[in-house]
Amino acid sequence: MKQLLKRKDSRWLGIWLAGILLVGIWDVLFLNRPALLQVTAGFFNTFCVALLVVVFTLLLAWGFALALHFLDAGRNRTPYMLLTFALNLIRSIPQIVGILFGYVGVSALVEAGFIRSPVLIFSLLALSISLFVFIEFVDLLRERIAHFQKLDFYNAMRVCGISEGRVINFDILWKNSRIHILNKLISVFGAAIFLQCSVDFIISVGLSTDVNSVTLPATMGSLLAKIDSKQDILAIGYTLTHPAYAGNLFFEHLMGLTVAFLVVFTLMSVYHIANGYAERHRL
Amino acid sequence: MNAHRYSVCIRAGERTIVTTDNYDVVPNEITFLFGESGIGKSMISKAVYGLLDPDDLDVTVNGRPYPEYCALASTHEIRDNSFFVFQEPSSHLNSLMKISDQLSEGSLRLCKDDSEILGRLWQNADRNALRRVLNVFPKPYRPSGGEKQRVLLAMAFKKMDVLASTKDDGAESFFVFDEPTGSLDNNYRNLFLELLFEKYTRRPFTAMIITHDYSVISELYARYRGFLPRIHLMELRRAGARAVEVIDFSAQEYLNWLGEKPPQVSGTVAGAAVLDFGARFSVFGRNLCLFKDAAHTQPANLVIRKGEMAYVKAPSGVGKTTLAKVIMGLYHAHDLAMNLCGMPITGRTGKKVWETRIWGKKATMVFQHADESLNLAATVRETFLGLPLARRLTPQTLVSALGELFEDSVTDAFLSKKVAMLSGGQKQRLNLLRSIVLGTDLLILDEPLNGLDFLSVKKVLSILDDRRGRGAALLMISHNEEIFDHFVGREHVYYLTECS
Repeated sequence: MKQLLKRKDSRWLGIWLAGILLVGIWDVLFLNRPALLQVTAGFFNTFCVALLVVVFTLLLAWGFALALHFLDAGRNRTPYMLLTFALNLIRSIPQIVGILFGYVGVSALVEAGFIRSPVLIFSLLALSISLFVFIEFVDLLRERIAHFQKLDFYNAMRVCGISEGRVINFDILWKNSRIHILNKLISVFGAAIFLQCSVDFIISVGLSTDVNSVTLPATMGSLLAKIDSKQDILAIGYTLTHPAYAGNLFFEHLMGLTVAFLVVFTLMSVYHIANGYAERHRL
Repeated sequence: MNAHRYSVCIRAGERTIVTTDNYDVVPNEITFLFGESGIGKSMISKAVYGLLDPDDLDVTVNGRPYPEYCALASTHEIRDNSFFVFQEPSSHLNSLMKISDQLSEGSLRLCKDDSEILGRLWQNADRNALRRVLNVFPKPYRPSGGEKQRVLLAMAFKKMDVLASTKDDGAESFFVFDEPTGSLDNNYRNLFLELLFEKYTRRPFTAMIITHDYSVISELYARYRGFLPRIHLMELRRAGARAVEVIDFSAQEYLNWLGEKPPQVSGTVAGAAVLDFGARFSVFGRNLCLFKDAAHTQPANLVIRKGEMAYVKAPSGVGKTTLAKVIMGLYHAHDLAMNLCGMPITGRTGKKVWETRIWGKKATMVFQHADESLNLAATVRETFLGLPLARRLTPQTLVSALGELFEDSVTDAFLSKKVAMLSGGQKQRLNLLRSIVLGTDLLILDEPLNGLDFLSVKKVLSILDDRRGRGAALLMISHNEEIFDHFVGREHVYYLTECS
C-alpha cells in the first residue's frame, strides 16, 4: 500500500476515487432525491461514454495504423495516399466542431426514431468523439512502428521468418509500446470527458431545446446547462461578495456544485494520473 | 602474488545486481580480465575505482558502505594516480569542450608533451588530420568511435607519464581499461599493447584490462613473453544466481585449442552451391568487390556450398555487414547477381519473394548486436514464438534447443525471464539459437562471438560445425581473425574491399 501511494499515478487514482466517494456520500445526505438521481445518471453516462471513446479510439487507431503501414509498404501508392488524405481531412476539422456535427447527426436519428436503444446512442456518441480524437493516436502508433523499424530488432526478426503482422502487433505495439499506449489512453479518457461536457453544454444551451434533455441521455455537460445548475454556479459568484453565504453552497446549491466539481476534479485527477504514469515509466 | 582482495556487492533496491568475494588487484602488475558480456566486469571495476553513484545503487566494498569506502585515503590515492578508460568513449568525453582541451584537463596538463603519444596512436598521420580531430567538440557521430577510443587511450597514457614523473614508486595506482580496443582493429590493439608495455617499463603501475578479445593472449605470448611473470589472466565466471567469482584463466588451454586440427577439414559434405554471389556490386553509391586473396588480385564470386563455411574479412567500415544485408535482401544493391538456394536473385527481386520463400525458410542471419536484435521486452520463451519451424516447438524441444548453449540453467523461471534481464553473453547465445533452430540452408553470422566467454565460444563453434556437418552453408563475418582463420579453411576466406 505504501509503495502504491508513493507512485503519483496510483496516489491520484486513489484521490480521485476518494473524492468521488466523498461527494457521493455528501450528496446522498444532503441533495434532494430527483436531483441526486440526475447527477448519478449524468456521471455514470459521462463515465460510460468516455470509456467507450477510449475503446473505440484504440480500435480505430490500431486498425488505421496497420492499414497505413501495410499500404505504405505496397507497390500501389494510391490507396495509401487516399487514406492519408482522408485522415488529414478529419485532422483539419476542429475537434469540437466535428463532434458537434456528430451529435447533431445522432440526435437527428434519435428524433426521427431510428435509434432508441440507450446503448446504441451511447456508442454512436462515443464513436463521433473517437473519430476526432483517434488520429493523434494513429500518429503515436506509427511513430512507435517507425522507431523500431529503424533498429536491427525489426530486420533481425523478419529474416528469421517471423511475420510482419506478429512483429508489429506483438513485438512492437504490445510488448514495447503498451506503456505509451496506456498513457495516451488515460489522456484520451480525460479529453473525452472534456469534449463530451463541452459539446453537451453547447447543445443543451444553444442548439436545440428538444435535443438534449428529451432525446439524449443526461450527461454532466447537459446537467451543467440546466437552469438549476446555472443558478448554483452563480451562487458561487454571489459568495464572493457575500462570504457569509458560503455555508449554504454545500446544502442548497449541491446539484450544480457537484457537477462542476466532478468535471473539474476528474480532469485534474486524470491529468495527474497521466503525468505520474509517464514519470514512473520515464516516457 | 600479493594481491589486494576486494569483496563487492552491488544492489538496486531489493535486487542484487552482482556480488563477488574475490576480485583481486595485484599491485604494479597487469591483469587481463575476461568473461562474458554483462556478467559484471565493468561494474565491479567501477565500484573498486569509486565511480558508482551511491544514490542509484546500494554498494558495499569489503563490507564498508560505499560512501565510507570512497572516502578512504587509499581510494582517493587510486583515483588521483590513475585513469579509467570507459567502454563507451562517447560517455566519457565532454561535448562542450574541444578534444585538445580535454586532453590537458586536470592533472593531465602536467604531461606537457603529448605529441609522441598522439602520433603513435594515429600512426603518424599527417598533422592536419590529427589537428582536425583535436579541434572537434565531440558529438555522437564525430569524431568516429575508433578516434574517440584513441583519445581516451591517449589520456590514460598521459596519466601514466604524469604518474612516472610526479609520484614515487610506492604510490598506488589502478588503471582500468574497459574494452580498450572494442572499436579498433587488431593493428590498433597491438599498438595499444606496445604503448602499454613501454609505459610499464618506464614506471610499473597497476592495470586491469577488461576484454572479450581472447586473441590478445597469442599477442602477449608472441611479443611480450618477458612480461608474462607480471601479467595475470583472469576470468569472471558465474558462481550462483547473481554471484560471480574471479578464477585464473588458462592461456595454455586457449593456445592448445587454437593449435588443434581445424574442424572443417573433416566431415565436409560439400554439394550444390547454396549461395553464389557476384564478385562486384554497388550499394549506397559505393562499389564493393570480393577477392580470394589478401592482395586483392583475384576477384571471385562468393560461393558457399552445402556443408561449407566461408569467412569474409575486411577492415572496419568497409561493408561486411552491408554485404550480409544485401545477401539477405535487406539492402538493395545495383549490379546484383546472386543465386540463393537455386533461386536467381537480382536487384529487382521483390520483397515478397524474401518474405515468402527465403527468410527463415532458406536463409537467415544473426545480427551483430544481440541487444538490438532481440526483443528485450519479451521473455526467453516468446523469443522463439512465431518462427517458421518445420515442427512446432514444444516446451520439451525448446528446452532441448536452449540446452545446447545454456546447459542446466534452462528452468521454467529462465524461460519466463525477460530478455532484458539476461547478461550480454546470454543474450548473444539466445540471438544465435533463435537463428540456428530454424535449420535454414544458409546461415549468415555477423560477429557471432561478440560478448561470449571462452567456454561459450567453443560451444558455439562446435554447434556451428555440427550444423555445417549436417549440410548447412555458413557465412561468417567477424573481426576475430585469429579464431576464424583457425576455424575456416583458407580456400573459403574472402576479402571485401571498396573498388573503383
